[in-house]
Amino acid sequence: MPISLPEMLAIEQFLCSLAREHVGPIIKAKSGTQHTYDAKSGSRAVDIVTAIDKQVEKLIWTEVRQKYPTFKFVGEESYVPGQTTITDDPTFIIDPIDGTTNFIHDFPFSCTSLGLTVNKRPVVGVIYNPHLDLLVSASEGNGVRVNEQDFDFQSKRQSMGPLSLAKSVVALQPGSAREGPNFKTKIQTYENLLSCDGGFVHGFRNLGSSAMTMAYICLGYLDSYWDGGCYAWDVCAGWCILKETGGTVVGANPGEWEVAVDNRTYLAVRGCENKREQEDYIKRFWECVKGRLEYK
Amino acid sequence: MALTREQLKDIETKLVELAAKEVGPLLKEKAGTQFEAYDDKANQVDLVTAVDKKVESIINEALTKLYPDFRFVGEETYRPGDTEIGNEPTFIVDPIDGTTNFIHGYPYSCTSIGLVENGVPVCGVVFNPHLDQMYHASAGNGAFLNGKPIKVAERDLKLQKSVIALESGSERSSGSSGDDNFDIKQATYRNLLSDQGAYIHGSRSCGSAAMNMCMVATGMLDAYWEGGCWAWDVCAGWCILTEAGGVVVGGNPNEWKVPVDDRCYLAVRGGCSHPSQKSFVEGFWSHVAGKLKYHW
Repeated sequence: MPISLPEMLAIEQFLCSLAREHVGPIIKAKSGTQHTYDAKSGSRAVDIVTAIDKQVEKLIWTEVRQKYPTFKFVGEESYVPGQTTITDDPTFIIDPIDGTTNFIHDFPFSCTSLGLTVNKRPVVGVIYNPHLDLLVSASEGNGVRVNEQDFDFQSKRQSMGPLSLAKSVVALQPGSAREGPNFKTKIQTYENLLSCDGGFVHGFRNLGSSAMTMAYICLGYLDSYWDGGCYAWDVCAGWCILKETGGTVVGANPGEWEVAVDNRTYLAVRGCENKREQEDYIKRFWECVKGRLEYK
Repeated sequence: MALTREQLKDIETKLVELAAKEVGPLLKEKAGTQFEAYDDKANQVDLVTAVDKKVESIINEALTKLYPDFRFVGEETYRPGDTEIGNEPTFIVDPIDGTTNFIHGYPYSCTSIGLVENGVPVCGVVFNPHLDQMYHASAGNGAFLNGKPIKVAERDLKLQKSVIALESGSERSSGSSGDDNFDIKQATYRNLLSDQGAYIHGSRSCGSAAMNMCMVATGMLDAYWEGGCWAWDVCAGWCILTEAGGVVVGGNPNEWKVPVDDRCYLAVRGGCSHPSQKSFVEGFWSHVAGKLKYHW
């Protein structure tokens, strides 16, 4: 049963107030205070999680279940590898705190990322960064809002000039997996994108949060984002917002024009005036990818 | 005859006013609107705009009127081989730091106004009008963000648990003019990130040296390593950082003391003991993959 446009907007508004009023204050108050945290794999590991991540996920889960009892729920902290699957049913896909390393270090780019998929497609997205008090949200067919005011992406896009690889600023994040062939592929690709003999992009930026990066592309601050290793909850909300601004998400590996929300490798590209420009940008970007990113 | 603490505080106050009233509004208004109007400087990714030049002349004029005996070194009026920093009080100014951000409308461009005396940064003001962040300090008077003292939370400093700013920079060719700076930097990034190397918590990149120095000053970042930037990129931030308990050493191993125009730096936060800063620096240097060489 499809969800109507007004219903979709109502879900967006519900998630916005949940993010701003309930989740944001906790993230803001606790950022930089968590000096005890679990390393998911070994004491030197860099994929870290705090007690607050779990507490916030529980709060979100309780709230959305009360309001939308028939919807499914997939969250970073309750995800079970090999068991959790995303179906065609309406499914909240959420990351309670995206940018956990930022959260621990009090680098002001941690946020909450709340998305909804229907038929596996991201249709509602809400990203809230309480440090910057920045709330970016959208729902399919309803456009984009920044701090709950309609955002005129059309004018922003027109002012941005043409989209081309050598004139773009690209978000790149090494992430927490720093070993084996994927790490090698990433590092080689970064070098290739930067080198004057390769993509020679204007620059890279690294915010340490996939959701904030997607939000920044939506606002027209960044041109693209290439990553591997992140999960559906890192990108689901941003994906929906990006689509509403005319942007697109494809795979990080060459030729992957259509990917699922849990693909784990992505190339997100901003909207532009001419759809052809976006396609050319993606092809040119893929030429710079050295190796293949593979995740199970 | 050295400037007194009171004189320095007075200079700091005047620089804050200049940055807030004369420079900030212009930066804010023009950011993201210069896409078609940049010159290619040394190569096509080092972008300089007409606005840079205009802002520098505004600052130069104001400072010459206020402090006719002080010397002035600015990014846009710098002449290679000709401009020297002596012992007399000298303003060192980057009208717009983060020019690529400025062109792309990424909200990390700022103005950076520093003062050196006897080669030491003694006053610094960095203003980011997009985020409305005014960082300011002078020797012996402490460091401030928007008028509030910067207090770095006391905590351990460990290389493996650190988040470090690493930038792409604009010099991107391997072996150009006999240097292999690009290759050395990339290899060092690899060493820092790899699970076989320092395996740091993460790297961040915002595209502005002055903003990085300020984020190290507040302790949002643990360190910033850079080669290729100029005195005007770091001078103001250097003073802010040292007043907040941080240190600046050379980017190459064993350079404990470097001049402000060294072009190669490692900045480390405060909030910890001097011995732990020292062992952090030594640990960091062990991952630097060669000797960076720059000319002034």
